[in-house]
Amino acid sequence: MKYSNLLYIKNKLLGIFAGAVLFCLLGCGGDGGGSAAKGVIAYTPQTLSNPFFSVIAENIRAEAEKNGYDFLVVDPDMDVKKQSDQIDDFIAKNVVAIVLVPVDRMSIGPAVKEANAAGIPVFTVDAKCAAEGAKIEGHVGTDNFQGGELAGQAMIQALGEEGGKVLVLDLKKANSCVLRVDGFKKVINAYNEVRASGKIEIVAELDGNGDRTKGYESTSAALQAHEDLAAVFAINDPSALGAYTAVKEANRQDQIKIIGFDGMPDGKKAIKNGQIYADPIQHPDKMGIQIVELIVKYQAGESFPKETLLPATLYTKSDADQDPDLK
Amino acid sequence: MKMNFRSLLSEYGNVLVLLLICLGISLVTIEKQSAISSSAARELALEVSADNPPKSKVLVLVRTGEGAARFAESLEDSLSARGLHVVASIVGTPADARKALLSQKDELDAIVTGEHMAIFTSGQLPTLASENEALARTKTYRTETYLWPNFLKKDNLLNVLKQVSVVAIIAIGMTLVIITAGIDLSVGSLIAFSGVVGALAIQYLGGSDPTTVHLWLGSLAGILICALIGMGTGGLVTAFRIPAFIVTLGVMFIAKGFAFIFSKSEPIPVENEGFSWLGRGSDLFGLPNSVALMLALYGVAYVVMSRTSIGRYVYAVGGNPEAARLSGVPVNLVLVFVYTLCGLLAGLGGIMEASLHVTGDPKSGTLVELQVIAAVVVGGTSLAGGQGKIFGTLVGALIIGAIRNGMNLTGVEAHMQSVVYGVVILIAVMVDQLKGRFK
Repeated sequence: MKYSNLLYIKNKLLGIFAGAVLFCLLGCGGDGGGSAAKGVIAYTPQTLSNPFFSVIAENIRAEAEKNGYDFLVVDPDMDVKKQSDQIDDFIAKNVVAIVLVPVDRMSIGPAVKEANAAGIPVFTVDAKCAAEGAKIEGHVGTDNFQGGELAGQAMIQALGEEGGKVLVLDLKKANSCVLRVDGFKKVINAYNEVRASGKIEIVAELDGNGDRTKGYESTSAALQAHEDLAAVFAINDPSALGAYTAVKEANRQDQIKIIGFDGMPDGKKAIKNGQIYADPIQHPDKMGIQIVELIVKYQAGESFPKETLLPATLYTKSDADQDPDLK
Repeated sequence: MKMNFRSLLSEYGNVLVLLLICLGISLVTIEKQSAISSSAARELALEVSADNPPKSKVLVLVRTGEGAARFAESLEDSLSARGLHVVASIVGTPADARKALLSQKDELDAIVTGEHMAIFTSGQLPTLASENEALARTKTYRTETYLWPNFLKKDNLLNVLKQVSVVAIIAIGMTLVIITAGIDLSVGSLIAFSGVVGALAIQYLGGSDPTTVHLWLGSLAGILICALIGMGTGGLVTAFRIPAFIVTLGVMFIAKGFAFIFSKSEPIPVENEGFSWLGRGSDLFGLPNSVALMLALYGVAYVVMSRTSIGRYVYAVGGNPEAARLSGVPVNLVLVFVYTLCGLLAGLGGIMEASLHVTGDPKSGTLVELQVIAAVVVGGTSLAGGQGKIFGTLVGALIIGAIRNGMNLTGVEAHMQSVVYGVVILIAVMVDQLKGRFK
């Protein structure tokens, strides 16, 4: 009898302890339920491990707060199921607008449609949603095709008269990255057409998954297959840096030029150190600010352009040497 | 009676944990809500009619959405019943609202709004009034607000159930496997495999315009193939005495690989929106179909495990296989059965997830096996085998789902979410251990 009494109390205490710990964790980590007058703008990017999306997040937050909105950001960690659950949760929370970077441009469609039905406007940043019937109120992104063209021009410059074999690290599930590769190929093909020798040959297009690990793995494989590989074009900085790791491991960093994309702090540093040759850079800070401007206009019932494409600019070592952020 | 309560607590200590977690999440998600019931509409109409003489011109503004049309309608009725003249009732976007307000020709006395449109009018009315004189003396009224946790809203609770349904359904099979002292690491990959096979089968059968029959056949194909794979797993475990951990680890890689090969690494779209019926439809008293299916399966599993000889065999094999064999339990058959069932349910989970996105995605199901195992363990089933309760597993899945939802609602950062999961699993298992020690 005494034993079971003890058990009862112990169980009860443990339960309370468990609850208390959770409560604290939730409380400390959360933004709380503070409610500004105008409601919440909610943001679900592809992953917050890529600083590109956190720069967007910071700028949305600042601009949202300036306009009297609260801000909520969650991390789907490249998982479309998680992202779609998060959109359902946003709907339950009755946010005023959702800012989305689709993890998958098709599979996220049904979740977007649920937000449409709930009357919550959905805006996309960077990557677009291509699902049929999913209504997107506005999009702000980089002109990825033009950025890809810049990468192609940088590649021509990097390889010079000799040309050579090129590996492309792509990310087919993201439309923005497909466009980068398309723009890149357009410039390279046009360049090759008018030349008899010294052509630039794309020998492999492998999945870089937009991250270091996969970028490293795919590049290692390509280095085995092509002993005379001359350059790599990676569709973002993490996969470009993964490629650099593989190139360095094979001790071929002097022969192989790498071109990335994005211009995130790590990428810029690598350009300064000569690890990456150049990056067409995007402007995530402007994207975050512009998307909030669109939301403000939407909420005021004013008209605004459905799609805003910000041009990419090329960032090379000479830019990096003068960059005050890298000093 | 007192003894009963105590034994209930020790048996279902995790229910207490679940309730405490729900309480905690409720407290941190309390926010202002706006009423959209018909009684709220009547009260609002009363307020408007107190300020404005009969025949006053009133405009109703509500943002599109769940229940918005009904709310606008009951507002319109209540306002008319009070003798006010409703000139228009707009259910739409802020752009619609702006257009409607700017097109008012006669002087408008009042605008009656829901929550979101109230924000619109408070911000825009002054500028609109300078463009349209009819709005110069317009008063605005908004629906009342009250405090209530976002977590405890009906839609949100259904979200929680919907979001855990796949994990919870697979966890039934996993509970049985773990009761027999086994483990199945392949279920996450089988989700992807089943979704891809199902979507491909639908594409093969129905081309670009599949019918409902094709959807059913394709889904069945995905589920049955996974059941066969589960049977193969069970066969390897029993025939060659390879530890389940190793067999299912192998199957995990193989199934994942084939999911990517068959789909050429691209999500396979299903060209019939009807496919989302299972994952997103709600047919039974507003209960999502996936949730209804989950509850039904738990009901069946409970009866099987507590009332039938199959259930007793499963416990016996996990408790002591040798003793079970000597007392005439077909041990190998039971093992093959539990792995087949686990594969089948993983296949079903895969179809459910494919249905959620109307796509068979080879990337889906990643690491779900760990969530499933976590749900089972949090639910009080011992990895040593022989013990475990079906409803404990459901509670375990709900604990995980509630925490995830709570963290999304409050915007807890992803890595912190992972920390919280870990802490919950450890606490739940600690509770379980202490329970055993004091028995």
